[in-house]
Amino acid sequence: MADVSKLTPGQKVLLQGNEAIARGALEAGVSLAAAYPGNPSSEILQTLADSAHSAGIYVEWSTNEKVALESAAAASYAGLRGMASMKQNGVNVAQDFICNLTISGIKGGLVLVTCDDPSGVSSTNEQDARFIARVACLPLLEPATPAECLSMMKLAFELSEEIGNLVVLRGLARLSHTRAGVTPGPLPEAKPRPHWDPNERWFTIPVVPKHQVMLDKLAQAGKILTAAGVNYYDGPVRPELLVIASGSSRLYADEARRLVGANERVGILHMGATWPLDQELILEHLARAEKILFAEEVDPHLESGVKSIYAQQVRELGLKDFYGQETGHKPPIGELSPSRVAGALADILGLPWQETDPSYLEKAKAAQALVAPRQVGFCPGCPHRASYWSMKQVLAADGREGIVSGDIGCYTMGVLPTGYQRVNAVHCMGSGPGIASGLGKLRGQGLEQPVISVVGDSTFFHAALPALVNARWNNSDYVLVVLDNSATAMTGFQPHPGTGATAMGQAGTVVDVEQVCAGLGLPYAVVDPYDLEATQEALYDALQIGGGLRVLIFRRTCALVQGKQGGHPWRMSVDPELCRGEDCGCNRFCTRVFRCPGLVFDAATGKATVDEVVCVGCGVCAQICPAGAIQARPKEATA
Amino acid sequence: MVPPAASPDLQPTGLERLLAEVINPGLCVACGACLGLCPHLIFLDGQVAAPDACGLSSGRCYAFCPVAQRGGSGESQGPIGPVLGAWQGRATAKDLQGRVQYGGVVSELLALALEQSLVREAVVTAAGLRGSPQGVRVTERAGVLGAAGSVYAGGGALSRLNQALAEDSGHPLALVGLPCQVAALQAMKASPEHPQAAQRIHLVIGLFCTMNLPWRGLRGLLARHGVQAPIGRADFPPPPAGIFQVWSNGAYHELPLEDVRALSYPGCAGCPDLTSEGADLSVGACEGKPGWNTILARTNAGAGLLELAAEKGLLELRPADPASMEHLTQAASAKRKRAAAASEEHPNG
Repeated sequence: MADVSKLTPGQKVLLQGNEAIARGALEAGVSLAAAYPGNPSSEILQTLADSAHSAGIYVEWSTNEKVALESAAAASYAGLRGMASMKQNGVNVAQDFICNLTISGIKGGLVLVTCDDPSGVSSTNEQDARFIARVACLPLLEPATPAECLSMMKLAFELSEEIGNLVVLRGLARLSHTRAGVTPGPLPEAKPRPHWDPNERWFTIPVVPKHQVMLDKLAQAGKILTAAGVNYYDGPVRPELLVIASGSSRLYADEARRLVGANERVGILHMGATWPLDQELILEHLARAEKILFAEEVDPHLESGVKSIYAQQVRELGLKDFYGQETGHKPPIGELSPSRVAGALADILGLPWQETDPSYLEKAKAAQALVAPRQVGFCPGCPHRASYWSMKQVLAADGREGIVSGDIGCYTMGVLPTGYQRVNAVHCMGSGPGIASGLGKLRGQGLEQPVISVVGDSTFFHAALPALVNARWNNSDYVLVVLDNSATAMTGFQPHPGTGATAMGQAGTVVDVEQVCAGLGLPYAVVDPYDLEATQEALYDALQIGGGLRVLIFRRTCALVQGKQGGHPWRMSVDPELCRGEDCGCNRFCTRVFRCPGLVFDAATGKATVDEVVCVGCGVCAQICPAGAIQARPKEATA
Repeated sequence: MVPPAASPDLQPTGLERLLAEVINPGLCVACGACLGLCPHLIFLDGQVAAPDACGLSSGRCYAFCPVAQRGGSGESQGPIGPVLGAWQGRATAKDLQGRVQYGGVVSELLALALEQSLVREAVVTAAGLRGSPQGVRVTERAGVLGAAGSVYAGGGALSRLNQALAEDSGHPLALVGLPCQVAALQAMKASPEHPQAAQRIHLVIGLFCTMNLPWRGLRGLLARHGVQAPIGRADFPPPPAGIFQVWSNGAYHELPLEDVRALSYPGCAGCPDLTSEGADLSVGACEGKPGWNTILARTNAGAGLLELAAEKGLLELRPADPASMEHLTQAASAKRKRAAAASEEHPNG
């Protein structure tokens, strides 16, 4: 990412939403930023890391989101400004801390950025993390543009410091990765030296009085936010239809009213601060419109909040028509879009609306025919493909209907055909070993199936450790397979404790998976998943042993990282004389069953062939060919 | 290669049917006939499995499976099949004593066939990883002796034979196998899809089959009796002993016969063949004469090899006495009847 500390104040530049959040934090004088990577939030911390040296701040990838926020809170208690950024799932990880922090309070400005992922494009869920504002009584800001990302970050820090509590800024996938013009402001001249006044103590008791303090802080925040002008109205004085919108949906609503030609009939109440809701402003605008539509992603946060305010004043306001999730005008699932909002506007206002021009659909169909169908899958040479291949083979040979408890990372795709659908369950970070731990204790009641838990190296440190300790402590019977590709690959190759690298590029201390296992008293072995025979022997033997938790570390660097480090050693080819094609004895085993994208079946010759553009030369497929037709030769020898 | 034709009833005759009729109901006897032909069927630690669908409606795996193909011809020759000559014999070499199952006849005959270049390679069963029996390919006497002795567990040895047949080589091969493996071999030899089998398999030494056990179950039973794999040799002494004898790491153990019998492959119940009727030579125990084998020469090739071994002084041979042949015939007949009863109960069992 770019070093955003070097931007020239007053000079407009194109910035991604996530970069603008980072720049906003720098302008607000943040001193410590921490995060655990997760799309769509990852670029925030990487931008700050790449700006850290010139900005003189500390930036770290933490082991998980809770630790990240706790580290940031430490800066706050030392009188500095801190922040933690995460994706929506991370808010759940940090929630326990948040719900206590909001009672104990903070000193230096402290901001939590959550980047939500409606439609779950790069997530296991599409959770709306705004719940945390209600649960923990925290002020919530929702920018719609990169420029607002910057300005609202500054506001968030000021607000946080003023009320003495954490402030939440919610981004969305589209905003995180959209680029737009942003005019940076100046960076602070100097920042205070960290010091924790020993007379200052931060804890939650006595709970009831402090609970009241927390509520008072929220009320105070409401007044500050009203004064800040982040909520504003745009449209006719008495609109036929009032759209109350937040985040990217504000832009969608604006575009939608143009699309249906209703600029003069529709007004938009832009809600930049969505908790606490500005009751006065909302009542003022409810009084001027008979029909109200909500535009927001994903949950009906505004919808329920506004209806609650309306219910208190219904005698004065009279009857209104509300449109939103309850009426089907805002989908309860998935991302919103300008055309979805336009469809709602047209329906409510009785306007014609065709979502897509039929001629465009025709062209799209024609274009689609030109593109080869693709499934989401592991990269060519990905060690996870080899790992799942071995698990599939071994569990079939084992014959006891073994279960694989999955986890979060690229290897989550073990639920898909690319991983031979070998994974039976995936939930959140670290839940794989937890579920396995429970399964492994059902032996006494007759569970005979072997249990494997797969966990990536980054996830191992993030949230797997408590489950492993639990399994060790309670003598749960399962095999933990650490799919160690030496990277947090799915989110962009961020370092983690096992790599020893740090966000700011300085050497950290390598936390060794083997040493952790040894420390827990767990038997472990390391195998290279590219070596199918050795991997399968080790896994089969591990499954037969039984009796407690034992660990296999499948260690092979991510194929993409290997590519950057000089590439794989082999040049692969198929000998057409040996390839059996579709006959009994093969039936396209490599392209139909193994299915690495580097192998293709040539229907004209009835033989498999290597796509040299795609194949990286990992050599694994040569081990599965029954005829020895797939051959690996050293690249140097064939160059 | 043209896949084998579908059966007249138009049912598929491939992996899917093999799974439905044999593997999934637990009737596989681990002979290995379906293995080594393709990558879809795998064998690990004594068990056959198919991790993925093969996608073809017909295949050699089903055509060669002795359990799937049971109930055909070949049982009209009487309970012990065709016999040119019946003998009792034992090897004279000292290096065989203590290593072989009974009289060492199989090891000696096979070693002789290799030495005489009647065959250049043989597939036998020996203990592999985790003590699990598996097919091994041997080319000389030392290799033969390395595989001597029986553990009564299925080892999928035909996998190695299929592997050898798939290689671009024409040398003659021998097999030492159980009745199920000998039956599968006959199906292979008769198959137009597998011409190498008829061309290259020149010698088949069949064993009398007392019991064939799944290795994993046997290993578990042994472990419960404190016997650690690998086991060197095992035996069922004749009734009324009621025990299974095991020699392992120099120690001798006895296991209750009933516990062992309970383990046996359900698929063996329908097998009508005690003595490997389709072999060139069949060899087994000689009841009442420890250290001796009963030998049935069934083909001219088998009889010739036996004659050569006797001429060279490698084997001491005597004509089988009528009483023991009568006993063997009764046992074989009883197996036929049990198989017929089991087949009525389950067509492939």
